[in-house]
Amino acid sequence: MTAMNITCYDRNRIFEDGSSAEWTALETHAASCHECAEELRAWKAISAAAQEMRDYAEAPALWSRIEQVLAVQAAQQSKQRQRWSWLGNFNLTHLTWQAALAGTFAILIALSSFWLYRHETRTTNTAADSHLLKNRALAEVEHTESAYTQAIDKLAAEAKPQLENPATPLLSSYNEKLQVLDSAINDLRTQASLNPSNAHLRYQLLAMYQEKQHTLEEVLEMKR
Amino acid sequence: MGTVRLALPWQSRMSAAPRERENRVQPSQPLASNTSQTAANPGIDDAALATACLSGDLRAYERLYSLHGARMKNLARNLLGTTSDAEDAVQETFLKIQRSIASYRGQSSFSTWTFRILINTCYDARRSRLRKKEHSIEQDDTTKTPRPDPRAPGAHPSLRMALERAVATLTKHQRDVFLLYEVEGFHHAEIAAMLEITETASKNTLFQAKRNLRQLLEPPRSSAAGPR
Repeated sequence: MTAMNITCYDRNRIFEDGSSAEWTALETHAASCHECAEELRAWKAISAAAQEMRDYAEAPALWSRIEQVLAVQAAQQSKQRQRWSWLGNFNLTHLTWQAALAGTFAILIALSSFWLYRHETRTTNTAADSHLLKNRALAEVEHTESAYTQAIDKLAAEAKPQLENPATPLLSSYNEKLQVLDSAINDLRTQASLNPSNAHLRYQLLAMYQEKQHTLEEVLEMKR
Repeated sequence: MGTVRLALPWQSRMSAAPRERENRVQPSQPLASNTSQTAANPGIDDAALATACLSGDLRAYERLYSLHGARMKNLARNLLGTTSDAEDAVQETFLKIQRSIASYRGQSSFSTWTFRILINTCYDARRSRLRKKEHSIEQDDTTKTPRPDPRAPGAHPSLRMALERAVATLTKHQRDVFLLYEVEGFHHAEIAAMLEITETASKNTLFQAKRNLRQLLEPPRSSAAGPR
């Protein structure tokens, strides 16, 4: 058996995780190396001193104390268990119960899905209906507006000779007013064609038509 | 902190043979009557003890106390400084074991699990004490820190006190590993399981702890010179 070759450089490694043979080799090395001998002595002295921190004196009173508090806690735990023991009657770990719970969940999920599907379908239908009604209302408005415009155009045609050759300053101002109204009506109709669903524009347009109608009526009154 | 020559009181007691794990003075020696029963098959006894504790048998807890109580109290005392705090910590540990025994799954041995709870309990107690201390300092500047209780006669008082003070300056991990390995006699595998570190980390931490203690207690005479 050959002796292990140990140097001072191996010392810390052996202190940390040396094998039995390495420790023996370090001891042999330390016999001829003062520094390693000193380090080895101090290292072992710490371990020896640590033994002095060991005091396993009997403490009989401590167990009595612990036993008492354990008994109290055990009683409390027992009470708590009894409080929830009714759950144990159902034996929830039993296969039948597990199957019943799973079935209930499956039914709940199916009902929820069905309800959601129905609700979704109904909502979609309502939205589509509302869209159709909107379009229908718009068509009605546009139809009425067209008829109203035609009626006003008839009035305008009747008043045209007077307005083209105004005999009085009042007729001249009516003519100017009607030109301004026509310009405003044209602007509003352009905007309404871009945004046909805008009810506000429709109301403004109606007001302009009504104003034009009244103005033309007043012009025709003057003729009579 | 002053330095103390470590060699003086122990030189005569130390053997020339290298210190091996097998040669270590087993901490359970004073409890030889109890440990001898578990020596045949500690694993089975450990599991049986856990099962008995789970069933709520108070005698099982008494057996746990008789097996590990003294070592638990000693470790707690070294971590907390006073016997009364150590006894409170051991009592609290037993209560925690009883409360959480149902969560013990046997990943580590029952004793390892027990000591892990004890260590955590000690650090909880330390934190709580620190908070109380801070509170009392705010109220009264004259408050003093509790001095460690005297130990059993026979120990070398000055060196032991110096070592205790030096150990107190170590980092938490170094202190835990040093106390568990050198004082309580646990193996690195057990310490690794208790502190949830690797065995290599446990060995390295012990080495760092001892090197720090060596510097604190007895600076090397030729510290300037490196190994030859």
